[in-house]
Amino acid sequence: MRARCILLHTALVAAVACSRAAAGRAGLVYYESYDPRSLDPALSTDVPTGEMVTLAYDRLTQFDPDGRLEPALADRWTASRDGRRYVFHLRAGVKFHNGTPLTPAAVRVSFLRVLAPGTKGGRPWPLYPIAGAEAYATGRAGDVTGMTLVGDSGLAFTLTEPLAIFPKFLAMPVASVVPPPPADPAERPIGTGPWRFVAWQHDDALTFARNPDYWGGAPLTDTLIVRIIPEPLTRAAEFEAGRLSVIEVPFGETARWRAQHPHWLVEKPALRAVYVALNNRRGPLSDVRVRRAINQAVNVPEILATVYGGRGIRARGAIPPALAGSDTTRPAYDYDPAAARRLLAQAGYATGIDLQLWRTAANVELSRAAQAIQSQLAGVGVRVELVERDASSQREAARKGQADMVILDWWADYPDADNFLYPLFNSGSFGPGGNYAFYADAVTDSLILAARRTVDEAARTALYRRIDDRVYAAAPWLYLWFPKDLWAHRPELSGWDLPVIFNGQRWTHARLGDR
Amino acid sequence: MRLVGRRLLMTLPTLFGVLVVAFLLLNVAPGDPVAAMVGERADSATIARLRAELHLDDPLPAQFGHYLWGVLHGDFGRSYITQRPITRDLEERFPKTVQLALAAMLLAALCGITLGAVSAVQPGGAVDRLAMLVSYVGVSFPVYWVGLLLILVFALGLHWLPPSGSGGLAYLVLPALTLGMRSIAFLSRITRAAMLDVLSSDFVRTARAKGLSEAAVVLRHGLRNALIPVITVLGLDTGSYLTGSILTETIFGWPGLGRYVLTAIEKRDLPAIQGSILFMSIVFVLVNLVTDLLYAKADPRIAYD
Repeated sequence: MRARCILLHTALVAAVACSRAAAGRAGLVYYESYDPRSLDPALSTDVPTGEMVTLAYDRLTQFDPDGRLEPALADRWTASRDGRRYVFHLRAGVKFHNGTPLTPAAVRVSFLRVLAPGTKGGRPWPLYPIAGAEAYATGRAGDVTGMTLVGDSGLAFTLTEPLAIFPKFLAMPVASVVPPPPADPAERPIGTGPWRFVAWQHDDALTFARNPDYWGGAPLTDTLIVRIIPEPLTRAAEFEAGRLSVIEVPFGETARWRAQHPHWLVEKPALRAVYVALNNRRGPLSDVRVRRAINQAVNVPEILATVYGGRGIRARGAIPPALAGSDTTRPAYDYDPAAARRLLAQAGYATGIDLQLWRTAANVELSRAAQAIQSQLAGVGVRVELVERDASSQREAARKGQADMVILDWWADYPDADNFLYPLFNSGSFGPGGNYAFYADAVTDSLILAARRTVDEAARTALYRRIDDRVYAAAPWLYLWFPKDLWAHRPELSGWDLPVIFNGQRWTHARLGDR
Repeated sequence: MRLVGRRLLMTLPTLFGVLVVAFLLLNVAPGDPVAAMVGERADSATIARLRAELHLDDPLPAQFGHYLWGVLHGDFGRSYITQRPITRDLEERFPKTVQLALAAMLLAALCGITLGAVSAVQPGGAVDRLAMLVSYVGVSFPVYWVGLLLILVFALGLHWLPPSGSGGLAYLVLPALTLGMRSIAFLSRITRAAMLDVLSSDFVRTARAKGLSEAAVVLRHGLRNALIPVITVLGLDTGSYLTGSILTETIFGWPGLGRYVLTAIEKRDLPAIQGSILFMSIVFVLVNLVTDLLYAKADPRIAYD
């Protein structure tokens, strides 16, 4: 008996030792829900592509997991007093994965590539503030006049007008630096980033190996595999089987995981906004009283708690709480069906109105929220017809202004309140630019542009708040919530932090094994 | 051989028809491929420029002519979204789909025909009733549900197999079972019906009267003659499996044609959709041709002329 115990014990110890050793060697495994477009930074218009580009390449600046701007390839930069001219100084001794040294010329050529008409990338706008960039992109100029080399490690940008947040624009994936000449950046990327590209089996997995010469300190783990797994429940199974290092908690599992695996979970307010764009130019919705009535007729906290698993913060404006300029104390539109009815009656719709609300099955949670909104609006006489289309058709209808209401989820490109104001409420951003509500207000427009030109941080923040106040009062949206990201990580994973913005995590400090 | 040549020639109008219909449908369907290229935020000037560069504003006949010209030269074009050549994408996905389809069909043929034949030997017996249950489950339970259940039981519960992905043989088992389940059900029912029919016919009685063993009667005389409808179902299923299976591939993260087409449709990637549809049509037509030839092999009474 005793002998058997000892034997068993030895076996157990051996097994544990083995599994520990295996965990120590194990590579990190991350996932995307669909195959990236490409690994070419110029084509990074969606989240999977942006995340993968962020692993292999660097930009002049970057974001940390909390969305703070950090130096990257540029170790310092200076801005002129008027905010129109920036000089970036490149870090010394940085080399691409193939050994080519990084030069300011490479940065310049990379930017020209993104703008060049033949690239067909689709996202040149982060570089448009540079003088002459737009002319170059449309083929009206042979060069970008606002981009010049300074000495052998500097690069100067002259902007068309002052833009205080320009350094944040340069942290976007599209502004990544590729070595000259880029042989095949789409399939065999060569960057300066923490991870060297190894292989890509489309729709299956991407493999990266640590870059031992990474300027920011080599990653702690040898390999990083990024699997493409479209189905959320399959992802959950992979995670529970220990084959994924991290995972966004599936909505259906929220309660179970919160109860059973609280130590796995990380929760953070995301830089995202969930809202219903009310088309401010269509029928009854052009009346501000109707739009306010809609905001009062819907019990947002209840829908947030039930349909969305409580994974969000009720929106009292369009700027997420994590960003400067957000006002979390602003009085919200209270749930008050009687008041909503009165407003509708005042607007001349005492007998109710008929509206369409567009949703897409591609986003299950928002689709359910739309249903809840429909039933609550019915309570005040707003008869809603749900129009269900695929994401592409919905987007086209919304961009053309053919939808009364659309339920949407806005993801930040850069962590700044401007990203929740300029695209969403500037009249120049109608439709494809992001202003799906077709909200147009001359004062708002001029305030937004003034904020962009304001170099002083505190003054700019005050302006952001004022704009958000003004827009909120006009109720161009049915304001819903700012999602809180809820992720789980393997208990043996350390050095990983949930990023508030998609390009804020570079996996350099992450490792599996004993903490 | 002449037959094969003639049949191949006859497929050309079919394929042309498929191309025309696919092209027209895609062009009347809502959704803009450029919208997927530029992402959630773009300026109208960039969108207009991309549309012009992709010839999306040309008249439809010109667009179609241009596409057809490329196809005739073996060039399916490049994806709008990824900018990769469509033929390379298909080359990469098709072997994965073939792998899964063959595994599913093999499983279906083995299990389905065996179950059907065995249950026909003793109708109403225990095996027959079990087979009936299997086919009810196979036909009526949604693929989605079965796939997730298999993952739950065999990957998470028993740790026998990986939940998803592609790699060695172990990765093939669950998706093949999920994909082939419907065929197992159908094949077992069809084999059973055909066997019962054959086993009550005169020549089987003759064979038994000759004194052949029961095994010889069932296998040589019974099964062989019952195979015609089985081959039909097998052929049709193989054709549809070889063109990719959206649900199974999505659940198991299998990198095959089905997911490729699904992504292409979601993004309105016109060249990718058209190329895949054309490719799938060719595969389907070829599988049908092979099925027809197998008929003649299985039943000497069938001759094509």
